[in-house]
Amino acid sequence: MKLDLSPQAAWQPLPANQWNEDAARHLLRRVSWAAQPPEVARLMNEGLKAGLERLFPAKANLLPEPRLVSNLAEAGPAYYQKIRNAESREQRQVLQREQRERQRQALQDLSIKWLQFASRPENAVTEKWTHFLSDIYVVSHEKINNPAEIHAHHDTLRQGALGAAPALTKAVSRSPAMVRYLDLQNSNKNAPNENFARELFELFVLGEGNYTEADIKEAARAFTGYRVRADGFHFASSQHDTRPKTVFGQTGKFTGDDVIDLAYSQPAAAAFVPKELGKFYLSDSPLSPAYLAPLADWWRSAGYDLRQLAHRVFSSRLFFHPAFRGNYIKRPTQLYLGLVQDLNINVAPYPRHSLNTLRLMGEEPFRPPNVSGWDGGRLWINSGTLNARRQLVQTLFTPVNEENLNADEQVEIVAARAQGAGVFTVTDERIEGMLKNMTPEQITDRFVDYFLPVKVSKTYRAEILAFLSSETDEAKRVARLRSTAITLLQSPEYQLC
Amino acid sequence: MHNAYQALPTTRREFLTWGTKGIGLLAFSQFAPSFLVQSTLAATPTPEKDRSILVLVQLAGGNDGLNTVIPYEDPEYYRLRPTIGIKKEDAIRLTDTLGLHPSLSALHSLMNEGRAGIVQNVGYPNPNHSHFRSGEIWETASNSDQNLPSGWIGRFLDNACGGAPGTAGTGGDPVAVHVSNELPQSFQSRYPQSTFGLRGGGNRNNRENLAFLEKLVKHDDHEANANASFLRATMMDALVTEQRVQKVLGGYRAESTYPGNGFAQSLRNVAALIASGMSTRVYFVSLGGFDTHSNQANNHANLLRTLSEGLAAFQKDLIAKKLDSQVLTMTFSEFGRRPNENESRGTDHGTAAPLFVMGSQVKSPLHGTPPSLKLQKNRDLEFSTDFRQVYATVLDKWFACPTDQVLGKTYEPLSFL
Repeated sequence: MKLDLSPQAAWQPLPANQWNEDAARHLLRRVSWAAQPPEVARLMNEGLKAGLERLFPAKANLLPEPRLVSNLAEAGPAYYQKIRNAESREQRQVLQREQRERQRQALQDLSIKWLQFASRPENAVTEKWTHFLSDIYVVSHEKINNPAEIHAHHDTLRQGALGAAPALTKAVSRSPAMVRYLDLQNSNKNAPNENFARELFELFVLGEGNYTEADIKEAARAFTGYRVRADGFHFASSQHDTRPKTVFGQTGKFTGDDVIDLAYSQPAAAAFVPKELGKFYLSDSPLSPAYLAPLADWWRSAGYDLRQLAHRVFSSRLFFHPAFRGNYIKRPTQLYLGLVQDLNINVAPYPRHSLNTLRLMGEEPFRPPNVSGWDGGRLWINSGTLNARRQLVQTLFTPVNEENLNADEQVEIVAARAQGAGVFTVTDERIEGMLKNMTPEQITDRFVDYFLPVKVSKTYRAEILAFLSSETDEAKRVARLRSTAITLLQSPEYQLC
Repeated sequence: MHNAYQALPTTRREFLTWGTKGIGLLAFSQFAPSFLVQSTLAATPTPEKDRSILVLVQLAGGNDGLNTVIPYEDPEYYRLRPTIGIKKEDAIRLTDTLGLHPSLSALHSLMNEGRAGIVQNVGYPNPNHSHFRSGEIWETASNSDQNLPSGWIGRFLDNACGGAPGTAGTGGDPVAVHVSNELPQSFQSRYPQSTFGLRGGGNRNNRENLAFLEKLVKHDDHEANANASFLRATMMDALVTEQRVQKVLGGYRAESTYPGNGFAQSLRNVAALIASGMSTRVYFVSLGGFDTHSNQANNHANLLRTLSEGLAAFQKDLIAKKLDSQVLTMTFSEFGRRPNENESRGTDHGTAAPLFVMGSQVKSPLHGTPPSLKLQKNRDLEFSTDFRQVYATVLDKWFACPTDQVLGKTYEPLSFL
């Protein structure tokens, strides 16, 4: 589909007469995980502008620190002391192994609590937005083995997610996970480490080609003295290089924050986040400079405000244009959380369902493949990951044998049920209910219209109806309906949004 | 007169046969799909199952070349690396001036047997220090200032050098297999190629469901977009290939003991697929973690041991199965690291580095020249062998594929093959 809008018209608000249920579903599939009917209805009631005000509020909800993460953080210093004081090498190794295992469990707890939090309709949109930001301001558990720092980093993103981008970047430069991840921890005035300065320019603010190696070397000196101590970020002024630096042609005794401001004063800064936003929400192929330019100019004048950027882009004519409908490949977290929402179930509090499949699909939470985050788009898809996607759907329709779960997992299940979030798979009772109340034609329409983001042909619909109704044995009708739903959710079309 | 329209071949294989009949194909090239024309230009022979295979091993993150091949007689080396330098007495002696990291003993044995070699100081002009950009340059075989949309293996396949008839959706053997969650950039091709990714759990779908899914996948009469078509083609391929591959892996009996780590197990799976007689020409395996900015000594030692022991088990298995003459293995990394260590006992992003080649056809252990270390503080190594010379050697001497079709121009090949 050709984009027949001028760059100027592209970012104008969608005309009121083009706002309809299809548009609302498109909006929800792109900014949230799925288009649940109650959410569609609510949007239709309030209208696009008010809807966006609600979906992208002034403040995002924060994710409470999970229990195992806090426990580990509290026990940490004493435990490291114990490791240091170990009597033999063997004993030390045993303790270190134990510590690694506790870290693994704490990260797992964090990952599952995040998925549960993000799956709730009231958090879905801001959590996807935070996820987008975490794909820019990347840290990875691969290197940051303290889950409390990973959690705090993402809360830093949530706190700044809907404010001004420069303030967020400054907060991120003080995030302990980031300080460690990009090696500021040991960077001092005699030996500045370039890693953070490079990624600041390349991956956070400007993009490759918009700075020189000399800019990086000089900027690195401004970030010397950033440290993490037991109580969090600390600025070690004796390690900081106070001499003048020359960055982007300007010379002064710049601090780290000064350098961030200087970066945002570069022309490339205004288009960088909009371009990343396009890649995360709109299309694998980057928006062309011609389309980015007017948006970038406006965003600069709006003080790089992230909330305003979201409101502007997601109400624009471009966003709702047919060229951007039903053709974006869902990332694995969206596939999973979208299934949870579409099937009206809850995130299971044990890793088998969620985390293991997410890893196989190529997106393990808090473990991006490298400093630039996930590449996404068609790179999500190959025969191995497609198989994992199919397996996931199958799993969500298969009852859990709770006897096979370990004691911790069973405790979590009890806790989830107590909160009214204890339905982890699609049960036969629900399928029976559907068979009782709906004709095969109605079921077919419901599945196709509700699950698939593309308009399918009559013959496609007929194919589904035929499969659904060809089972005449009453006893097997439930199984047949289940198979139909599973297959449709495994189809190429369901991988799109 | 010959009827050009009717006689135009519709598959690569047909087209290649045409070529050998000496018909003036290029005269019709405006009617032919461009991939077929490309095939003819490349004029490689039709596929056979026992043809040469390349296994690419990616060392992701940027492997520290100077602590891989150690210039232990050079005082500059110890000046640059006062704490993380490998001591002369710890290094495994290669020549009077060069040694290997102590973790590489298994690879060293292979070198002694004439089954592995090192190409020294490989890089490219105007190096880029970004992981992604430099990785992209390596995988697309581009110049530093050039953006290419396809990978060098992808272009090798596009030129029909891959030979296998694996058109998307036919269920033939995949032309290239990667053991990683994401499709390597090297495999990105201009025309659809049936590549296969080795990951994912078992399959509990019953036959009836699969048949229904196949029906839905084949449906392409509704509102289509490029990603939908791509998903359909990939899924069709996957459905067919998946069952075959899982069967092969499940039934494989290796002739050597592979270490338990994921990297070695990936190589075991590659050996299984090669041994099954699949016509796949290229395999891609990745080992990550080489971005050693701080406290690198232990990490790097472990990584090199994983690499060395995994490769050795793989080669031993191939030898026992008499497949070794068919397989060439080659490592690569997006860059080496800065010659001087940093204050965190690690190394920052650098430029040129050595790479390993392994296989029974590999000639003599050392190729190219080592880098000069007479450098000022924080300066980078100057490469002496262009990485595209390595690719050209593989394309030319291993695959008998015209290199300029893939690399855009001719590069002087090296003597490791």
